[in-house]
Order: sequence, then C-alpha cells, then structure tokens
Amino acid sequence: MTEQLPIVIILGPLLAATVAAFAAWIHPKASHPLVVTGLVASFAAALKLVFVVAEKGAQKYWLGGWGAKPEHGVVGIQITVDHLNTLLLAAVSGIALLTALYAKRLVNTELPGRQRYFYALFALLITGLLGIGITGDIFNLYVFMEIAALSSYALIAYGKGRAYMAAFNYLIMGTMGACLYLLGVGFVFIKTGTLNIDNISAALPALGQGQALFVGFVLILLGAWAKMAFFPFHGWLPNAYTHAPTASAVVLAPLATKVAVYTMLRVMVTVYSIDYILHSPGIQSVVLGLSSIAIVVGSFFSLTQTNLKMIACYVVLSEIGYMVGGAWLANEPGLTGAVYHVVADAAMTSALFMAVGCIVYRLGQAQLDDLRGVFFKMPVTMAAFVVTMAALIGVPPTCGFFSKWYLIQGAAQSGVWHFVAALLLSSLVKAIILFRIVEIGYNRVPHPSVDGNPAIPRNEAPLSMLIPTVAMALGLIALGLATSPLVNTIIAKALPATLAP
Amino acid sequence: MENLIANFNYVIVVILMMIGLWAMLAQKNLIKKCIGMAIFQTGIILFFISIGAKRLAKVPILSGDGVPVVDKIANPLTQILMLTAIVVGVATLGMGLALAQKIFRQHASFDEDDILKNQRK
Repeated sequence: MTEQLPIVIILGPLLAATVAAFAAWIHPKASHPLVVTGLVASFAAALKLVFVVAEKGAQKYWLGGWGAKPEHGVVGIQITVDHLNTLLLAAVSGIALLTALYAKRLVNTELPGRQRYFYALFALLITGLLGIGITGDIFNLYVFMEIAALSSYALIAYGKGRAYMAAFNYLIMGTMGACLYLLGVGFVFIKTGTLNIDNISAALPALGQGQALFVGFVLILLGAWAKMAFFPFHGWLPNAYTHAPTASAVVLAPLATKVAVYTMLRVMVTVYSIDYILHSPGIQSVVLGLSSIAIVVGSFFSLTQTNLKMIACYVVLSEIGYMVGGAWLANEPGLTGAVYHVVADAAMTSALFMAVGCIVYRLGQAQLDDLRGVFFKMPVTMAAFVVTMAALIGVPPTCGFFSKWYLIQGAAQSGVWHFVAALLLSSLVKAIILFRIVEIGYNRVPHPSVDGNPAIPRNEAPLSMLIPTVAMALGLIALGLATSPLVNTIIAKALPATLAP
Repeated sequence: MENLIANFNYVIVVILMMIGLWAMLAQKNLIKKCIGMAIFQTGIILFFISIGAKRLAKVPILSGDGVPVVDKIANPLTQILMLTAIVVGVATLGMGLALAQKIFRQHASFDEDDILKNQRK
C-alpha cells in the first residue's frame, strides 16, 4: 500500500481538476467539494510519506512499472519522495487544502458569476506544483512547470483590468524562463544521454567540468530564477500578484515561487552536486551578491509602498533572496536553512496573504490609510497578522527565527558578511512595517474604551476565512517548535556528503 | 569556419533564439512579443531535433529479429520530447494571444506604451 502513496499525491488534484471542470459545466457549485476531496487525498498521502521517508528513506515509484525491473534500467518516468522534497510536498498540499477552504467565500464575492472554472484551474495549478516537487525526471519537471505556469496565468487574468497586462508580462517572463530551462536540459541530455535525475547524478562525476555541462547548469539556473522572480528577473511578480484576485494571490504567492526555489535546490544538490559548484569558481560569489541585492531591493520597495498587497509582494521578493543565498553558501547551516526556509516561508507568506485577504474582504481596499482602527474592527485577524509578521521578522519560537538563525550561522561560517547584513536589515524593515501598521491600525483612532469616544463596531472576517488564517498563524509557531526533530530526522539527511567549509 | 558550416543547423538555432529573445524583450507590440515567443520556442525545438538526428539514419522501429544497430537509427527520444514541447508551445501562445485580445478590447491598442499611459489615467 505504501508503495502506491507517491502517485496519490499528484493523482488527487489532477483527477479533481478534470472532474471539477466537467462538473462545473453541469453545475457551477459542484467543483469546490470535488477539489477539496482531491486535495485531502493528496495531503493525507504527503503527510504519511513524511513519516515513511523519515523511517525508511527515499521512496521511488516508476510509472507503468518501467524501470522497476533490473533489465529495464530506469527508462520510464520516475517519481521520487526523499528527504529533500517530502516536507515541501506536505507543505504545498497542506497549504493548498487550507487555501481551497479559505478561498470559497472570497471567490463568491470577488468573482461573482465567473467562479465556474476557478477551482479546476486551482487544482491544476496544485497538480503542476506538486509534480515539480515529486518528479525524478528533468524533462517531466519542465512539463509540470508549464502546467503550473499556464494555470497561474489564467488565475491571475481572472482579476480583469490591470491583471491582463500583469498576466501577459508574467507569461513572457515565465515562458522565457521555461525555455531557458529546457535548453539547459538539452545540454545535460547531450552529455549524459538520460533525463532521469538519479542516472544523471551517477553519470556526471565521470564527465568532469566540461563546457557543455556548465552552460547547461547556468541555463537551468537562469530558468529557475526567472520562475522564482530572483533579483534581475523580479519585475513581473509585484504587479501580477497585486492585480490578481485575492483568492489567486493567496495560493500563488506562497507556493509558486517556493517550488521554483526547490527546483534550483534539486538541480544544485542532486542533479549536479555541491562539489561541482565549488569547482566552478566565481559563480558562487556572484550569486551570493545577487541574493543580498535581492533582499535589500525587496526590503526597500516594501517600505515605499502604500498598498498592503504590494507590501506583501515585496516581502516575498526579499524572502527569495534568503533561500537562494542560503543554498549558494553551500555549507551545512546555510543549506539546512535554505531547505527549511522553503517550507517555513511557504507557511509564512501563506499566513500573510490570508490575513491580508481577510482585511481586503472586509475593508474592500488595502491602502495603509484605510487601516485606521482595524485592530478594533478585526482583532482576531490582526492577532494572526501580528504573529505572521513576528515570524517574518524572526521572533522566537516561530519558524522564521530558526531558519534565519541557520542562514546567519551559515553566512558567518563562510565569512559572507554582506549576506548577514542584508538578513538583519530585512528583519529591521519588516519590524518597521509591522510598527507602521500597528501605529495606523491601533493609535490613529480615538481609543474606544475611553469614555466619550465613539465605539468601533467589530466587523470580523467570516469564519470560513478566519479559521484557516488562525490555523496557519498557529502553524507557524508549531513549525518553529518542531524545528529540531524536522532538521535532525529529515533535512540533515537531505544534504550531500561534500559541502563547503 | 568549417565547423560552423558542418553544424549550420546549430547556427540557425542560435540566430532564431536571438531573434525570438530580442522580440520578446525589446518589442513594444504585444503581438510581436507573442511572435518572438513562438520563434524562440521553434529555435529550441530545432535544437533538440538536431541533437537526435544522424546522417542516413533510419526510423527506430524494430523489425524482424536481431539487435538494432544504434548508429543506424535516429534517437527517438528527442523527437518525442519535442512533441510535448510543441503542445506546451501552442498552449502558451494561445494563452498569450487570448490575453493580448483582452488587453486590446480594453485599451484599443497593442502598444505597450499606450496601454501603460492608459492605465495611469
């Protein structure tokens, strides 16, 4: 039974997407429960696999049985759940499930009459993202990348108005990224003659430091960077996620970029190796520099914005710098921090966008000036918001503290002080944003408990949105408390034997 | 130089990809951007087909008995990969054109500068 679990993870949302599209054709309200069912199956399988992997090690599954027998070798498509991706799969399917429950109310009010195919696209997006996470074949990864990308263009374009142009720019950038990735795959294929990740990593050490392999590596990296909105390619993200309907942004912002970061990690750690990176001089210090710039630029722009959604988008941009930088430190604490931060950041940005979504749902707008008295109107939402911001700043015992701790430790160990400075600066900036919002939301109205001041009526977000938001915020603390078992039993085993000092 | 002539298909791949990339990034017209995207993808398809092709090679179909001589058959894998890539390319191009059409209905223009000016109003 256990051996069939890996395929359930992608089959759940894939079948749900197909059935939901037809069901929506017959009845517009039929698709939501179907998609939720598919995501429940997917999340249950992913959660079970976390324990299986922690206990027994990597689980491999060969589609159609091709490659299961020794005389075939691996000629078909392999899907793998190992220490590197099992937490990501659980996080993506779990967050997707919570978001699907959260989004129902939002979709009904934001897209009245147009919600028919929303959930089918939603499930298709999750299929793509989980597929990128689970596949053990670099060409298959490209296909899943495009499935996820195509459905996200459509989900963004649901926003109408400016969303069309934002989605178009994302489409151009995303297609360029995917094409560069595909070209890189071609170079790897020329040298190794295989697309299976295990086969490639077995064949690469004997091939040394050839030019074709290096070009392939750089092209794949550029492709992943365009998809994750890393510094020079970040232009599309803020507009796309701000003008998208909130229901789309809540699922896209935390998951799409994180899965692209995982692609980069997979290529660095398993396909190529840390050893290979350490033997390609120059590129490491350039990427570390870019990561610091990404953090500083994201932080700076998040301070200049006055729209809450825009601020959240730039926070996402600066967080990308954390993960890329941590991965390219290539030492033990740095890589641990990067792998852990992929999961932690997916949870943190999800909680952030959920809280912002609740505020937008009630206030209709998300300009900072509209937030006056919001702490009295929506106390529970704002409590979740403050916990999330605390996690993003890095206050213990939330998960944000631990990942930042590993990253700073890694940077200090390698002596990359500009990265340490950028991390601390970004924490400071997030603290300023939090205090600014507290100042506007709490202090700029006459305090209602003082006699003679007008009472502010409570106008909390509906329960179907509030419960996932609070659950996610509490999850940040739970994830933080679970850091040491997660790192010791799973993440530590995902790291390769050779690492930078 | 002889190397370039012997591998002229790769030269064409590079030219096609440069044209496509330039059109995607530097052109202001949305339709031209879509055309650039299609040319870029075509370049990659040609690249993959080139790496699987061999001179005077046969189709990779097993006939009768005996082990196939790998030198005499074309690599089928790259062609199958490109079938998938063509499907992906068609889907992206369709999506891009659909978005361009929506934008045109809103702003009555395909020009990026006009659209941005319109949005600022």
